[in-house]
Amino acid sequence: MPSTDRRRFLTSAVLGGSAVAGATALGSLAPETAFAAPRIDLEPGARDPNFAEGRITAISGSLLKVSGSDKALHRIYVTHGTSIWKLRPTTFDEIKVGDGLYARGVKMPDGALAADAVWVNIVNLDAAITAIDSGRLHLDHHGNKVVGHVVNGTTAAVYNHTPAISDLSGLQVGKHVKVIGAWRPDTNEVDIATVYAGI
Amino acid sequence: MIEWPASVQPLFIGGTLLWSGGLKCFGRSARRSAERSALPSLVGEGRALAAYRLTGALELALAAVLLLPPARLVETAAAVVLGAGFLGYLTYAKVVAPDSSCGCLSKRRTPVTWRSFARAGLVTAAALLGTQAGGWWAGGLGAGTAVLLAAEVAALLALSPEADGLWLLPLRRLRIRMRHPLADRSFEMPLESSLQQLLASPAYRQVGPLLRSGLRETWDEEDARILCYTAEYEGTAATAVFAVPLRHYSPEDIRVALVDESTESTLLVGA
Repeated sequence: MPSTDRRRFLTSAVLGGSAVAGATALGSLAPETAFAAPRIDLEPGARDPNFAEGRITAISGSLLKVSGSDKALHRIYVTHGTSIWKLRPTTFDEIKVGDGLYARGVKMPDGALAADAVWVNIVNLDAAITAIDSGRLHLDHHGNKVVGHVVNGTTAAVYNHTPAISDLSGLQVGKHVKVIGAWRPDTNEVDIATVYAGI
Repeated sequence: MIEWPASVQPLFIGGTLLWSGGLKCFGRSARRSAERSALPSLVGEGRALAAYRLTGALELALAAVLLLPPARLVETAAAVVLGAGFLGYLTYAKVVAPDSSCGCLSKRRTPVTWRSFARAGLVTAAALLGTQAGGWWAGGLGAGTAVLLAAEVAALLALSPEADGLWLLPLRRLRIRMRHPLADRSFEMPLESSLQQLLASPAYRQVGPLLRSGLRETWDEEDARILCYTAEYEGTAATAVFAVPLRHYSPEDIRVALVDESTESTLLVGA
């Protein structure tokens, strides 16, 4: 299905109301249904089989080869049902060799991970703002300089736990912030998705 | 001619050494500063703190003889040696342990940069100039030397990352108060705001346990933002489609549908 038709179909499914044939109204799910997913009991300290992290060393087809920070090698399958985050929800062709990732999914019998969700280059920094210029925040992250790029249409700010807004004029030099963003591999630069600050 | 600026250099170097030596000997976080510096790789983990304190004691002793009469050439010469030694230490730290902090003038963690070298160079140059002094510094005090001393202290502070909080950050804060560089951004509803609204909604509570993926896809549809997730419903893969109000906050109005994209059929709708 072409992507515009697909989006039209999905939109009408959620906004079309009761006109959709064959659909049942959804009541609240009973707890036993809601939590029916199999739970995995892990030994303390054991490796979670349904999680992988590391740097991408090769991409072939829909398979990512990843070298973990603990030297473990992972094979990760990305399907059309996998969510991919790289600064924003994005598509498989945005993933590049050299990117870092976290992946969650289901371990398959051959040892590969069928990914439900992949987060590429995601970082979470606690830092202090040392300077602001147009389009950039200069951050001090435990003594290391980090440059945070503001991305128009994407970067949002959350002040004092209020709803996120695109207005960044509340950010102040010298204040502490928490930054969720996408690292630019092998640099000290990140693109900012959300910056959390106090006012 | 060179004697009047030279005569007050012992005062400048002595003051600087009092600051750095005092911090190394009596600072509360001396142990942490020593561990973060390049000393552990130079003299070994166990001896880093002792070496750090010993350096501080040497600096204090040198500061004392520089500040107290009589003035001798050997004092400023020792300061030159100390300055040159410190430049050598900085080079070592930059090459061997680039991640280490210089641990020089404060407990703040500050990596070795060009400013560290410029500052050590300034102190060494002042000590070199000081070797030309004729007598004790108190004899050379005057309006000219006061200006010179003030300029040297200003240069020292300007080159110290530790002192940025005193002048650089307030200056930047003032500039931003006058004109914030990020104030002219377009007003759009960020995705994060829609996600916050979604997480607070009854619709999300209903189907949340069925969701398998993170946010897969999103687009705007007139006054709604559509958010798609992969879900698992009765053993089959489905797409959970949420419609979040785009321009107002009302999580109760968020709608959801579970859709099987392979058969283009809607499995469930919730309101």
